[in-house]
Amino acid sequence: MAMQRPPDGGEILQGTLDMLILRTLVLGPAHGHTIAEAIERTSENALEVEQGSLYPALHRLEDRGWLSSEWGVSENNRKAKFYRLTAKGRKELNAATGRWRRMTRAIGLILGESFE
Amino acid sequence: MNIERFHDRARKDEELAEEIESHLAHERDANAARGLSEEEARRRANVRFGNARTTRERVWRYRSVPLLEDLGRDLRFGFRSMAKTPGFAIIAILLIAVAIGVNTAVFSVIDAVLLRPLTYPDPQALVELRNTSERGSFPGANIPKFSLWHRQTSIFQQVAAYDFGGAGLNITGGDHPQQVQGIHVSADYFALFGAPMAAGRTFTQAEDSPNGGHVTVLSYGLWKSRYGANPNAVGSTIQLDGQPYLIVGVVGRGFVTDTPADLWVPFQFDLNSQDMAHYFTVAARLKPGISIEQANAQLRLAGDEYRRLYGADSLPAGAGFSVVSLQEALIGDMRSPLLILLGAVGFVLLIACANVANLLLARAAARKREFATRAALGAGRGQLLRQLLLESLTMSLTGGVIGLVLGFAGVRILLRINPGNIPRIGEDGSAVSLDLNILLFTAGIALLTGLLFGLIPAISATRTDLTSVLNESGSRAGLGVRSGRFRSVLVSVEMALTVVLVIGAGLLIRTYLKLQAVDPGFAMHNVISMAMSVSGSRFQTTAPVAQVIRDGSDRIRAIPGVVDVGVSNCLPMAGGFGMEFDVVGRPKTDSPFTGGAGFYSISWSYFNALKIPLLRGRSFTKQDDAAAPGVVVINEAMARRYWPNSDPLKDKIVIGAGAGPAFAEGPRQVVGIVGDTHDGGPNREPFPIMYIPLAQMPDLETALNSRVAPLYWIIRSQADPRTLVSSMTAALREASGGLPVAHVRTMEEIEARNIARQRFNMLLLTVFGVAGMLMAAIGVYGVMSYSVQQRTQELGVRMALGAQAKNLRNMVVAQGMVLTLIGVLVGTGGSLWLTHFLRSFLFGVRALDPLVFVATPLLLLAVALISVWSPAVRATRVDPMTALRIE
Repeated sequence: MAMQRPPDGGEILQGTLDMLILRTLVLGPAHGHTIAEAIERTSENALEVEQGSLYPALHRLEDRGWLSSEWGVSENNRKAKFYRLTAKGRKELNAATGRWRRMTRAIGLILGESFE
Repeated sequence: MNIERFHDRARKDEELAEEIESHLAHERDANAARGLSEEEARRRANVRFGNARTTRERVWRYRSVPLLEDLGRDLRFGFRSMAKTPGFAIIAILLIAVAIGVNTAVFSVIDAVLLRPLTYPDPQALVELRNTSERGSFPGANIPKFSLWHRQTSIFQQVAAYDFGGAGLNITGGDHPQQVQGIHVSADYFALFGAPMAAGRTFTQAEDSPNGGHVTVLSYGLWKSRYGANPNAVGSTIQLDGQPYLIVGVVGRGFVTDTPADLWVPFQFDLNSQDMAHYFTVAARLKPGISIEQANAQLRLAGDEYRRLYGADSLPAGAGFSVVSLQEALIGDMRSPLLILLGAVGFVLLIACANVANLLLARAAARKREFATRAALGAGRGQLLRQLLLESLTMSLTGGVIGLVLGFAGVRILLRINPGNIPRIGEDGSAVSLDLNILLFTAGIALLTGLLFGLIPAISATRTDLTSVLNESGSRAGLGVRSGRFRSVLVSVEMALTVVLVIGAGLLIRTYLKLQAVDPGFAMHNVISMAMSVSGSRFQTTAPVAQVIRDGSDRIRAIPGVVDVGVSNCLPMAGGFGMEFDVVGRPKTDSPFTGGAGFYSISWSYFNALKIPLLRGRSFTKQDDAAAPGVVVINEAMARRYWPNSDPLKDKIVIGAGAGPAFAEGPRQVVGIVGDTHDGGPNREPFPIMYIPLAQMPDLETALNSRVAPLYWIIRSQADPRTLVSSMTAALREASGGLPVAHVRTMEEIEARNIARQRFNMLLLTVFGVAGMLMAAIGVYGVMSYSVQQRTQELGVRMALGAQAKNLRNMVVAQGMVLTLIGVLVGTGGSLWLTHFLRSFLFGVRALDPLVFVATPLLLLAVALISVWSPAVRATRVDPMTALRIE
């Protein structure tokens, strides 16, 4: 198989994919393939984006008005659909990041980590 | 949930496919850049992405409302599977449609009569004033009561009086006088009922006072028909009984009172009057925030005041005043018969449900392999259940739509067979119309029936053991013992429900026959009656009225074919007046009067015209007029009740003492006793009646009578009196100086009207009973045929082992009859209790009539026997060899 999964499982925690997509798009508009690559590369390949979840997530986020999209031409000179973060999406990203920080801190406290 | 997600799904899906293609292309590019061959780059990209179709489906499903999608699919499937077995579907849908149809029909009457609010503004605040006593409450008022109630301003916003029915008025002045329905009302009447005015105004208080002048308000209909809706009609005069009446207003088109009227004239009561005669109804509008209980509490005090003002005799101890909601008052005693009919059609619906459930169970047996296959292919039990329920709902809803149409056609037929004065249904039932209530009701029962008859078969069909079914040979696949038991129970239930219906129908049929057999006590054949309104100023004293009667009687009698003619102020079986009386010289007991009796004023030939037999003494003669000594004739019931041990012919009585100046008169000698008549209808015991000569009425009483009731001419002829009507009316017009007559009806018509309601109930329940019986017979037949078919092998084996054809037949018959017997026993037992609801509708039979309770079970057993006979005979024709070879 061509898939190399990290042994500890690179599956993205449910509900966090949306946040990761939004965060990736802060840097500028991108199409689906770039988004997936960016997430994997930035996480040093610790996370693997399941393609079957990526597109449903993109469409869901667009329906909610957090993303907008338009067809364009990619760096490879191919037709691609580019997603762009909307103001609403940016707000949501802030909220989601806040929620995530609070949660990881809480979990960290329970696990005995210190945040000094 | 945002709407965007459901929008334009197909286009978005295409876009997604393109997007995925673009993704794969980029992945290929990336792979190629890493030096992979074109082939390998494509393969890896595809593998890494996985199934593009799954992704698209995921997005597609996310954009859908899953339940609705599946529902649509199952509905389509339901229709397809119905189309595959059209015979089954048609029978099932028709059964449901008929059952829902009769329910809709009965409910639409209930809706119009019981449920719909009155059409007046703010109808909840409208109440009818009642007199209460230990015997119940009844409407009716005299001027002192009206005056007292009118003063209860703390609870009533308006109080208005109006005629019971009205004497009718004659529009004169043209070539042909026209008798119209004129109703006397007090000034507040229009405000009370919120009448909109099309033109002009209503009566002023001054116009509603004594000597307030001749004024009238026209109905919209009369204004249109007589004046072409010309606004100038207001302010002009109309001739009523020879007097000019000023038209002050016209009420709006939508205003219809529950006693319909063509025009209204003011009562012009003298509120200080001591006139104790009750001859009108009073309604009131409660003040905002005042409840019926609060009003009743206040009226109890008013009762005491009334007694203080008019003496202890005016209102017996224990009697008083109260209000009931006007809607209740109008519905009257119609509620329980309608609810009983609704119960009966509910039974029909249940029987139909049981029957369709039975059919479905049989069909589910045939489809068992289909379900097993689908389950094997991954359909969950829930999905199968949902699909089966949807199939039954598809049928019940289709049946519901057809039923709604049938119900509406049915209710027209229903009301055409003369339902006997059902209140509030309008002219020929025109008020019975489609509204939201009915739609909701029909939709509701359609859904309910779909679930009811669909659930059991669905549960039983989906409770299957896959391997055993799939391994079974197709032709023999059955549903096993459990569904067989369901079907048996359903058949017994059907039988039980049918027994109840048929017993109810039987009791009503017996009632109707008994009612028809009652001798009314007077001639009905070839007797016709017609009403003449004598409301003009000419008829304020007795002499001119007596003159019209003498002259008219002579002229009518001169018509060839006429046998005799009588005149009365009451019509037998159409309701009349009552009055208290005292026997002169009899010591008083605790009651202020000796008693009460029906009070008829008649012409001398009344008894002869109606063939009421004279039992003792003498009848009236032409000579019993104002100049002669006062006389009275009583009926047998009155003699029996008030002279149990003495001879009434030796006594004198005083009629209406204390009832007010209109009735003040001297004692009358009892001169004769006549036979009883069933005036209250054949189902009532004859009540005491006293008759006085019309020519001997006090003038004031005649004046009052002329205002509130017409004179009824009762004419008996040798042949059909309807052929003589035109010469009769001509004769009466000549005798009366141009007065028309109206309400020409034969006594047979009046009698038919009297028992119309019993006939109506009987017919309906009979139809329902027969329908139930047919369905139950089909049910028994179906179950037994199926059982025989299922047991072909068993029967074959039995035969091979030497069972006689007769034994097999008897076995099947016995099985079917046991189911029937259980149902019949349960149904008969249930009827023992249920028929007591019918008690008040029965006459001459007891609710536990032995004949009905024996004949009905026997009838149903016979019907069941006929139904099981053919399957039983089929059982004997099983060829053992074929039966065994099926295996």
